[in-house]
Amino acid sequence: MELRRLLIAVSVILAIMLVSSADAAHAVWSGLVIAENVPQPAAIPPELTKFEQTLKDLFGYNQFEVIGQSSKTLRTGEEDWLASSKYFALHVDAHGENDSGYALNLKLYKERDILLETEANLSRSSPLVIKGPQVGSGQLLLVLVVKDDEETHHRRHAEPTNPISAGWHRLRKAIHNILP
Amino acid sequence: MKTFEEKWTAWLDGQLSGRELIEFESSLPDLAAAKVEKRDAQKLGAFLKRELGAQTMSNEEFFSHQLRERIARETEDPSRGREARSTWWTVPRLVWSGATALALFVIFGIAILRERQPGERSEYLTQILNSKVDPAANPNATVSIFESKNENKVTVLWTEGLQSLPADYAAQ
Repeated sequence: MELRRLLIAVSVILAIMLVSSADAAHAVWSGLVIAENVPQPAAIPPELTKFEQTLKDLFGYNQFEVIGQSSKTLRTGEEDWLASSKYFALHVDAHGENDSGYALNLKLYKERDILLETEANLSRSSPLVIKGPQVGSGQLLLVLVVKDDEETHHRRHAEPTNPISAGWHRLRKAIHNILP
Repeated sequence: MKTFEEKWTAWLDGQLSGRELIEFESSLPDLAAAKVEKRDAQKLGAFLKRELGAQTMSNEEFFSHQLRERIARETEDPSRGREARSTWWTVPRLVWSGATALALFVIFGIAILRERQPGERSEYLTQILNSKVDPAANPNATVSIFESKNENKVTVLWTEGLQSLPADYAAQ
């Protein structure tokens, strides 16, 4: 009888895990970045580390400072959010998810004026960088990145979580480590 | 007026008497054979009464009879009762079902993880579908799109001719 109850409990947990595995939410990081050349450049923000060299090669600056950012987890693909600094705001309106990524409408505001409006299909594997106006001796860049699952999980681990989802993440990690 | 059969039955049971008995016996063609038949019928009746009549039991007999019946019921075929209570979900079947579910879960889990390796790059690039710059504030602005040639696959929307802003606008 005890064994039967245990097996039923295991089956229920597995079913919950399977359901939770279907929840493939991604986080989109969007940032307002000032690129400029300085004698002693600060460390690049972690969100830009992966393509630091590409940014340096493309724009010719040695420092990239985030002046406004937002990280939004997309669950329905229909969310909208704002990354803003003192004078600029990037409004992102997601219009759904497709095979290639997320359909986004981007509006760059300078205070209340729209400087730039763009319709883009943001791929999960291809960051988007928009060259904005010259600001002082630097350059405003708009960066949008779909975060990897692993990065999202690292962020989630920092937040309180329930035992089932924590167990699921541990199991995924274990399976992932087993895979060649 | 009684029929012959009624009188015959009453005679067999010894219920005829007096003149009626004399009249009936005198009407019989062979009284001796009829009396033999009457005796046989009475013997049979007595036998049936003795053998088929309700047996009365004392309290002790009844109690021990009930006990014997119950013991016999329980020891006769123990599997029959269990079969009546059991369901399809026996322990071995549950074990096999659990193992099958676990195997399916692992297979699907591996398939999903392989499909979504964190470092894996999809074939798709970010696409710019449409882009416009405020023409009033930036009449000479132009927009171009390209992708980086390296492995990062960065899609760049390159604007030129946007109005420059003072350094104060770099404030957080």
